[in-house]
Amino acid sequence: MNMAVRSLRRRKTRTILTVSGIVIGVAMILVLLSISAGASTQTNGLLRNALGAQITVVNGTIPTFPGGGGSGVTFTGGFPSGGNGGGGFATFFGTGSTLNESVVSTIDGISGVYATSPQLSTSGYVNGDAVLLYGIDPSTFASVTNGLDITSGTMFTSSSTNGMVLSNTLASNLGVSVGSSVTVGANSTGGSSYTVTGIYMAATTFGPETRSAYITLSDAQAISGETSGVTEIYVKANSPSIVSSVASLIDSEITGVRAETAATVGVATSLSGTLGTLFIVIGIVALIAGAFGVINTMMMSISERTREVGTLRAIGAQKREIMKIFMNEAFVIGVMGAVAGVVIGIVVSVALPSLTGSSVAGAAGRFAGAGPLSSLSTSITASNVLLSLGLGIIVGTIAGVYPAWRASRMDPVEALRHV
Amino acid sequence: MSEVVVRTTEVAKTYTRGKESIQALRGLDLEIKRGETVAIVGRSGSGKTTLLNLIAGLDKPTGGKIKVDETNLRDLSDSELTNFRLKNIGFIFQFYNLNPTLSAVENVEVPMSLARIPKSERHARAIELLTAVGLQARTSHMPDEMSGGEQQRVAVARALANSPPILLGDEPTGDLDSKSTKALMDLLRSLRKDGGMTMVFVTHDPLVVSRCDRAIALRDGKLVQELSRSEIEKARIGTMENEVLEGVY
Repeated sequence: MNMAVRSLRRRKTRTILTVSGIVIGVAMILVLLSISAGASTQTNGLLRNALGAQITVVNGTIPTFPGGGGSGVTFTGGFPSGGNGGGGFATFFGTGSTLNESVVSTIDGISGVYATSPQLSTSGYVNGDAVLLYGIDPSTFASVTNGLDITSGTMFTSSSTNGMVLSNTLASNLGVSVGSSVTVGANSTGGSSYTVTGIYMAATTFGPETRSAYITLSDAQAISGETSGVTEIYVKANSPSIVSSVASLIDSEITGVRAETAATVGVATSLSGTLGTLFIVIGIVALIAGAFGVINTMMMSISERTREVGTLRAIGAQKREIMKIFMNEAFVIGVMGAVAGVVIGIVVSVALPSLTGSSVAGAAGRFAGAGPLSSLSTSITASNVLLSLGLGIIVGTIAGVYPAWRASRMDPVEALRHV
Repeated sequence: MSEVVVRTTEVAKTYTRGKESIQALRGLDLEIKRGETVAIVGRSGSGKTTLLNLIAGLDKPTGGKIKVDETNLRDLSDSELTNFRLKNIGFIFQFYNLNPTLSAVENVEVPMSLARIPKSERHARAIELLTAVGLQARTSHMPDEMSGGEQQRVAVARALANSPPILLGDEPTGDLDSKSTKALMDLLRSLRKDGGMTMVFVTHDPLVVSRCDRAIALRDGKLVQELSRSEIEKARIGTMENEVLEGVY
């Protein structure tokens, strides 16, 4: 091994050139892996923040609806507008289809769960008009689901009593605005007084969602009579990639519930997965190119050292010992290239976000919604460093196999004649 | 002194290069006794180096037999031949062929390392050998820090590392001036006296021939003349018209 190092030191320029092939490959792999890891952290954050709940946990007895939402949203039947048609809702969200609130803390205890938010969907009347009433926990609602697109006023807080947020359609139908007082109850007559704290833009322009209102979970439970009852528990997983496994954990660990996953999660996860695979392939191609550089320079080095090989064979070195000498050199080249490549890879990965941040942001700014992805974010992980290091060493060593084999097969008589 | 160490019987070697085949040796019979110093002379292409390589076990004959002690080299596999060289043959070359990245003492250690001799033991032996060749003060010098004569003495120390019974040299003084050549030949003679080692040199150098016990001349792959020590000396004084000295000059 000592001999290998000395022999490489003697031909410094050549060694540097040989090693640089591996350096570039390894650095490239590490940078690409770091970008990929950074992008996946970024997408995870993005998905967690922007795409709403990933899992909706409902009572297991509720039949699955096409569309899989599991909440009242899937109800597309006629909406009772009169004072006597509310029975349908009451039946639909009856006792049999609620979950006990205590399930929330059980779900919180499941590994991989990032946050939960309970909701009770029920029916009620606002100023005598039948509406969909959602009881929510305002402290977790916005962070677990998309939240509401509040266009005026604010969301009520969990401490405030009798606060309410209405959809824009409902508000204009009722002729109320932020600060207005409304009467909310289980029947078309009677109820308690609520204050409108905010108005939100409904996600759709038709259907029941346009006629819905949000109040606190406890208020909704009181109105519906579902003490401690919830109809949906929204769940976020730590990362999009584990959503389905978290969902099956919930299914298997809690009886009487069904965990449904949102379709968007799978798409986003597979997208970031594809990106990662693509990057690794590019990196490996770069490393293989480096390996050919190693083969090329080692072949040249061996042809220059023909007489050295001939001498060693003449004084009694076996073929395998010649092989070992050159394999050792290849291994040293691999180690040097891998270490230098990892160092450069780390430096580039650290510098990249600030380098791209300013130069890319301008161009990316033109694309609506490109904001969070406009600068590259990188993440250097120990496993990626070890992977690049290992790949560099392995590829460098493997690249030495053929030249070393050629050296060991030299005819000593011919080799000694070589000048 | 009369025991035969190397015996070649009808030995032939034909090389094929492309379509051409070259008969380097055409049936050569030779006996070399233990402790003898033999010079092989002849013009370029006469088969001198081929003969030396066959005795060394670097190459295999295409006809005939080569026996070193009781071993027929034709019967050995490549790996066995390598092992034979390691234990029985010391090699010195015209251009010394030292490893430029290793110091004098490390170069001498190479054959012992190949023979799996423990590190401490081989270092002590290498120092001992360098002392024997008069280089005790230059053991840690690199080859490019030494003169040609010094480098060749390192090569001699390396050749003797595993105490081989046979020392072979292909033009060992070819790159040395006459002073270094004399010094080297004196050194080799003194080493021979100590161990009864057999030495065979391919050479053009009359200084080398004059210090050998016997000279054999090759022409076109055949042994054409043999001179004993007394004949060599007579030839030096005489008209120098015989085959040996034709090969020499």
